[in-house]
Amino acid sequence: MPISEEIIVRSELRWAAISVGVVSVIMIALIYAGLVHHINPPSNIERIDPKTLHLGGEFTEANLGTRVSGDGQVTSRIVATQFTFQPRCIVLPANRRVTLRFATPDVIHGILVSGTNVNTMIVPGYVSQVHTVFTRTGDLLMPCHEYCGLGHSEMSATVRVVPPDEFKPDAEGRVACDAR
Amino acid sequence: MNRREASDEDLERVMREVPRGAFALAGLAVGALLAAWLLIYFLVFLPRGMVG
Repeated sequence: MPISEEIIVRSELRWAAISVGVVSVIMIALIYAGLVHHINPPSNIERIDPKTLHLGGEFTEANLGTRVSGDGQVTSRIVATQFTFQPRCIVLPANRRVTLRFATPDVIHGILVSGTNVNTMIVPGYVSQVHTVFTRTGDLLMPCHEYCGLGHSEMSATVRVVPPDEFKPDAEGRVACDAR
Repeated sequence: MNRREASDEDLERVMREVPRGAFALAGLAVGALLAAWLLIYFLVFLPRGMVG
């Protein structure tokens, strides 16, 4: 008895249902991660002039690094440039919501913080912003993960996550690696 | 060994078996892929915590 058209159609429909099921499981898992665990792709859109980055505004040298504002918000500002980060080490508290803000004056860079979900591109002309909560203390590696030129492999920084009681801002609200 | 020409019935019999094996192989491959995805999701992605 030859295989009937009906059997072929039925098996193809079964596979279509399995495919839809797999995609649905993945979509539901991603929506669950976003709504319940607040794991979302960074979506900040903010323009900045890369030519005058260092001359004024929040990414001047004096403003870089970690600072705690009056309302307790912890923000770290980092400039990614060929082939280093400025500053090369930042201090952040564990178990507290922190904001990382990046800008670049030259080419496209990217960062990730090892062992965390922090991962973003840094594009000239835009401020990249990531909110996160670090749960593990210690020195975490933050390499550039977007090829940016011959020195790309040397481009990395350290994120020093300290217990909340060791996170002590100075009178201006600053916390730096060498000051600890 | 007794050799003979394959008949139409032989061909039909094999063709009834082949799709079953293909589905088993494809199901195993897709199942392994989904299992690996879910393992990374639950054991690596979620424990790494919030970001946005």
